[in-house]
Amino acid sequence: MFFILDMFILAGIFGFLYGFLLQKADFCFTASLRDWISVRDSRIGKGVLVLIATAMIGWGIVLTLGLATVGEVWSMPIGFSNLIGGVLFGIGMTIAGSCASGALYRAGMGYIQFWIVIASMMIGNLLFALVYDPWASDYVMEPLQLAEGGFTLFQLNLPFLLIPLVIVALMLFIAFRQFGWSGVWQGAKDSLQDFKGNPFTKSHWDIRFVAVLLGIIATIQFVVMSSISITGPETRIAGVLLSFVFGDDFVYQNTYLNGMFADFPTIGLGPEETLVIFMIVGAFVSAILSKSFRIRKPKLARMPYAVGGGLLMGISSRMAPGCNIANVIPGIGGLSISSLIVVIGMAVGVFIATAYIFKMPLLLFQKMDFDDSGS
Amino acid sequence: MALSNEELATLEADHTVDGIGEVCPHTLNIALKALKKAKPGEIVVEITDHSIATKTIPAAVKMNKIAEVLGIVSEKGEYKIFLKKL
Repeated sequence: MFFILDMFILAGIFGFLYGFLLQKADFCFTASLRDWISVRDSRIGKGVLVLIATAMIGWGIVLTLGLATVGEVWSMPIGFSNLIGGVLFGIGMTIAGSCASGALYRAGMGYIQFWIVIASMMIGNLLFALVYDPWASDYVMEPLQLAEGGFTLFQLNLPFLLIPLVIVALMLFIAFRQFGWSGVWQGAKDSLQDFKGNPFTKSHWDIRFVAVLLGIIATIQFVVMSSISITGPETRIAGVLLSFVFGDDFVYQNTYLNGMFADFPTIGLGPEETLVIFMIVGAFVSAILSKSFRIRKPKLARMPYAVGGGLLMGISSRMAPGCNIANVIPGIGGLSISSLIVVIGMAVGVFIATAYIFKMPLLLFQKMDFDDSGS
Repeated sequence: MALSNEELATLEADHTVDGIGEVCPHTLNIALKALKKAKPGEIVVEITDHSIATKTIPAAVKMNKIAEVLGIVSEKGEYKIFLKKL
């Protein structure tokens, strides 16, 4: 990636589009799992599956056309840290009330709670970095690692589009079996119904339609810029703020932060950080257009959840590594094994927090006992 | 049966829950708690400023046949969700 003005402008456009679309669909990854487990609401979960399907096909096409190489696909070293990081991130996002991307679009909608979550996440990022060097690197992260490098199924000697097409065909087969031809067709038609009249002033766009757009935009970003990520850039933003207080040397002397800025000409904000900041701007504009913006003051009693959940997300996103967005879109979309493990961990984490911290009903597994049981 | 905003305005709520400042999953939990207390046919209204609650609460009560969604009134980022216990 080059540090030229064009790249910053491009990053701003990508970030704006992501923020705009996430807000329009209220695309909450936490709810996609929590509400399915708790009250069998699979609406957002379907959106996430459509996003994964679109990204997989997108990555497959890009590699087939030679617009990017397999070496550029985002995959991280495989190990127990993927699973542990994922589980902790899942618990953190359920406690905080939003994932990494959810906190950004909601920050743009005027939620004070999610500004606190973002700040806590960035403190968590730095805490990880300060514990990594000198302790966690040798005593925690290395023992947890199973393989030196990452692995993506695109490295297998198969046509690039084969695995994505097989997985998407399987998804469609299940959808057709469950809903029938007419059901799937109706669903596709319904997903476009928000486009009657002026769609920009509508407060909600169908999540499946938005998921397709997000997948396509992320694929284009992969070709012209980078793999979308949120918590990596947030760590660098936190690093820049740290350098204001303690100076550049302090940041460079920390092994972890030094690595984060390895490709940077100096300690400063690059295109990816610009993208993350513009996600908030995009969500703000989207909320203003649909008159959904409002300064939303949180309940004081919930603040420990926002801070605790944010810190946990900040630390675990460095451990896994990556947040929900990086692991779902370029991760699973790029058929990366480490990301698959992280996402499984996140699902386990959401389950743990839903069942044992919030003690919500678990209607996916239990019969409803609504009139008698406490919930 | 979705009612118009005018019809919703004339409805008298049997139970009103204040979810202002709350986010998920509390917004859903307080709605479920109020519906648990309500008798069949009674109207429960939740006032919230959490936008996604306007999707998650109706989906939850419909999916599990707890209540009928009469409608949602939204104004400047504040929402009233009207539910009728089944």
